Amino acid sequence: MSTAVQEKETILNFLDGDFSSISDVDVIAGLNQKGAGNISEFPFPTKKDEDWRFTDLRSISRNHFVPVAEAGADPTGDISNHYLPEAQESRLVFVNGEFDAERSSLDSIPDNVTVGTLVEHGDSEVVKEHLGKYTTYDEDQDVFNALNDANFKNGVFIHVPKETKVEAPIHILNIFTDAEKPFYATPRVLFVGEAYSKSTVVEEHIGLAENEYLNIPVAEFKMKEGSNIHHARIQRDSKKANHISRPIAHLDKYAEYHSYTICLGAKLFRNDPRVVQNDEEVNFTIDGLVLIDGEQIADTHSAIDHRHWHAQSHQLHKVVVNDKAHSIFNGKIFVREDSQKIDSFQENRNLLLSADGTVHTKPQLEIFSDDVLCSHGATIGHLNEDEVFYLHSRGLTKKKARELLVYAFTLESIENMEVESVHKLLLDEVIKFTSRDEEFVAVGS
Amino acid sequence: MLEIKNLHASVEGEDEQILKGVNLTINKGEIHAIMGPNGSGKSTLAKVVSGHPEYEITEGEILFEGEDITELDADERAHLGMFLAFQYPIEVPGITNRTLLRESYNTIARENDREELDPLEFDDYLKERLEVIDMKDSFLERSINTGFSGGEKKKNEVFQMAVLNPKLAFMDETDSGLDIDALKVVSDGINKIAGPENAIVLITHYQRLLNYITPDFVHVMMNGKIVKSAGKELAHELEDQGYEKLEKEFSLNGEAQ
Repeated sequence: MSTAVQEKETILNFLDGDFSSISDVDVIAGLNQKGAGNISEFPFPTKKDEDWRFTDLRSISRNHFVPVAEAGADPTGDISNHYLPEAQESRLVFVNGEFDAERSSLDSIPDNVTVGTLVEHGDSEVVKEHLGKYTTYDEDQDVFNALNDANFKNGVFIHVPKETKVEAPIHILNIFTDAEKPFYATPRVLFVGEAYSKSTVVEEHIGLAENEYLNIPVAEFKMKEGSNIHHARIQRDSKKANHISRPIAHLDKYAEYHSYTICLGAKLFRNDPRVVQNDEEVNFTIDGLVLIDGEQIADTHSAIDHRHWHAQSHQLHKVVVNDKAHSIFNGKIFVREDSQKIDSFQENRNLLLSADGTVHTKPQLEIFSDDVLCSHGATIGHLNEDEVFYLHSRGLTKKKARELLVYAFTLESIENMEVESVHKLLLDEVIKFTSRDEEFVAVGS
Repeated sequence: MLEIKNLHASVEGEDEQILKGVNLTINKGEIHAIMGPNGSGKSTLAKVVSGHPEYEITEGEILFEGEDITELDADERAHLGMFLAFQYPIEVPGITNRTLLRESYNTIARENDREELDPLEFDDYLKERLEVIDMKDSFLERSINTGFSGGEKKKNEVFQMAVLNPKLAFMDETDSGLDIDALKVVSDGINKIAGPENAIVLITHYQRLLNYITPDFVHVMMNGKIVKSAGKELAHELEDQGYEKLEKEFSLNGEAQ
């Protein structure tokens, strides 16, 4: 016997949660209500959806997640090893989605700059004006964005006033601890950079244990005229976690947004960065570096939207795949009608260290304008045997030769890190990733 | 120093023999030149001696300072003091000459219980060795061979040799493609490195390089074997007569079996 009407699968089928409870803060409550309505309406994506063809979400849908408060999460121990020396007094710590005032320190933030929580600044006109205004995922019926909207009760708020430079990098540290049950968390960031302001933000996600959870961060960056940001995002979630993130930047005239996303953790990482050009003469970067092994999946579906004249965009997405890991890259670039003089660079380079790894790559350019320079390319390759032999013949062990070659492959991405300790952290991660005993597959040229 | 005895080798997994019984003895303080037409097996000999994984030794042995090195990996041969200057030096973007050389130098030092050099000491040493090939400091910061001209790549091979100071170097067509200025710099460099404690084997198609470096022995290789060995005058003979006369003589000797 089968039922005549099959019930639509929504995320609520495998999530617990009382989405009728809304925030006391009006501006958050509004989004909570909107999100709650959407999550019961928006379908849960399957492999039949074009944007999810290669990424199997059954690791989520066959599981059951509870709100983090009900998960029986461990208390946090000492996490000071994750503090950045450059951000000792410009750090916001969230543990399992809850703001941790004790571990946060904002002493070096200038008085006219706002760095704090959305709850604390819920009455701010800036928050009211911008929060939730840039996530355009409704038209895609994006259930993950809806879940973040419905569930978040707090988050990060950063407001850098006109002509102000924040010297210290602002470190947003999202820590997840071990828990009795798989849980979900919905970190949220709102960044507003006023005209000609300048700042650096390091957004980090760290899983302290090997537990299952679902991390769904949404970050909105409103970059006003001539404002400039260096945004490093480091994903080091638990190797059993699912991380589905939606970072979006809106750029006004002369604005610069430079983001570098590093993917090291999570069983499933899905990142949909979007950059929208609101006016002329903007300059932005959405680079990525992915290092995955085991059975990790890292899927980047980016969208760059050129809507006006004169823009420079840069997207270098580098991927190293070992074991049975799987990387997916889909890079959409729109150049709308009448947006001339666009210089857009996109490249996806993949290095396969094993015979069982998989890479899917697809540049997707939609250009409705004629005076445009869009270069794009994708390469997939193994380590080059001739290069390995060259170094080997100079006395380096094969292992060392391969380590150096993988290191060289990733270096271009890492060198862009402005914060010295982040730079060093990533070099250490690369060495950790490559210095395993198994042989990597190499082929002759 | 090096004794090659009845060496047979083929490409790994293939039947056809490329080396068909090479015999060669090299003592320290000597410079040898191995000449021969294209496809005679000269480059294969260099690669097999340095331990290239593409080739399989099917018969014979290679002794280095009395030790059979046939089963050793390329890095282990480098640790013993062997060096191959590549005919086509490989470009390795992202790794600087300095990084490779320090890693190389210190690995070899460690394997031989010699003291490793710290970055500052090593820098001084590198600068001193740069003089051998008349290159500027900035050369050290460049990615290995990346975007180098043909001449720069060959100079870099000689520079690596100057830094690593091997006991035995096989130089595979280090002269090919060099203009006259570069040829002088490269051969000057090799002459400065050559000494009573090391040995150098120059693999070349032409007599040209031998106008600047005087070999003690010249060998002619054909069809996977050394068919003739003599003093430096043999190179001049070959230059005048070409390889045809020898080839004829060689096949009349019943080699076409």
